[in-house]
Amino acid sequence: MKQPKSLTREQYLKQFSRAVRWRLPPQESEEAIADYRELILLEERDETRLVEELGEPVQAAHLLTDVRTYRRWLKVFAVLAFGLFLIVEWVWTGRYSLTFAALRAWWYPVLVMAAGLPLSLYWFRRHGQKNGPLPRRLALLLAAVFLFGAGTLAWNWYVLSPRFLDFYRETYPVIPWQIIFHRELTINGGIVCTLLAFAGLVLAKCYDRRWLALYTLALTVAVLCSFILFHMRRMDLSYAMANSVQTYLFTRLIPIGAAGLIGTGVALC
Amino acid sequence: MLKKDLLELCLLQLLAGGDKYGYEVLTPLRAAFPDTQESAIYALLRGLGKEGYTEWYMAPGGGGPDRKYYRITSAGQTRLEEMRNQWRNMRDAIASFGVE
Repeated sequence: MKQPKSLTREQYLKQFSRAVRWRLPPQESEEAIADYRELILLEERDETRLVEELGEPVQAAHLLTDVRTYRRWLKVFAVLAFGLFLIVEWVWTGRYSLTFAALRAWWYPVLVMAAGLPLSLYWFRRHGQKNGPLPRRLALLLAAVFLFGAGTLAWNWYVLSPRFLDFYRETYPVIPWQIIFHRELTINGGIVCTLLAFAGLVLAKCYDRRWLALYTLALTVAVLCSFILFHMRRMDLSYAMANSVQTYLFTRLIPIGAAGLIGTGVALC
Repeated sequence: MLKKDLLELCLLQLLAGGDKYGYEVLTPLRAAFPDTQESAIYALLRGLGKEGYTEWYMAPGGGGPDRKYYRITSAGQTRLEEMRNQWRNMRDAIASFGVE
């Protein structure tokens, strides 16, 4: 027979807390954690028999789970995570595996955002919970993502200006460093932002719903990056294109960014 | 009656005897049902609370930090009476087959 593994009190509580926060609504999970803390930290409790007496931490959390609510959360999470996976795939490969005949490719990431933002905001405002003052790490990460997003847009403004594109056309096929930097910035930044959005989603479920602001803002920046990348892949350097691309892109990027900022504000409230 | 119902009956019966904190509830039940882990009993206790059969309050416990005490509610008393009747009926039905 399989022997139950031995865990210290702290290890048990840590594993139980993690499992229960993922599965239960915030209020219930905090209550269950407080109860288990009381049960585990009792002097009468033999630490070596913790798992034997209480069961595996994940199993203990499973017993407290309201299966219907948990499955609903898993469905929402799967939809949001799949959207993030698509963005990573699009940014990384520059190709798209889905085709919507009615839309040009650079609008695909915007579709993910259009589905992800309302769904996540609805879910977390209904089922999430604030937990104390705004976490410092969240504030710092939001500032970093915002600055990165603003910096990427500023660099795009410069690289897509008619003057720079004229210069690029003259030097072609030599690719200037500004273009290489632009490509690396957009691809790697897009991937990092998607990963941050995923982390924000998990942290919003487990700790404080305001972490959803990180999901919202990072997703917005990732969508902006993939929008730019898809557009650039289909761009030629003809004179007409060079003169209109900056205006064309920014009249679309600014409303997308503004929608993301509004979503971030709502997530923080 | 399933084992779960028997555990619920015992939980309510225990609390009918006086308010108890978590460990005081779980230990005798685990001794009586050794193949059942405390997490399962705790889940039942929480379920009873959600259904309004028990409630809790914080009170000082044995010189240490405050403890969460559970008590039975009037709805819990009614439920206990129903379960006791179910148990008696079941016991009689089984006895009628000659099972001691």
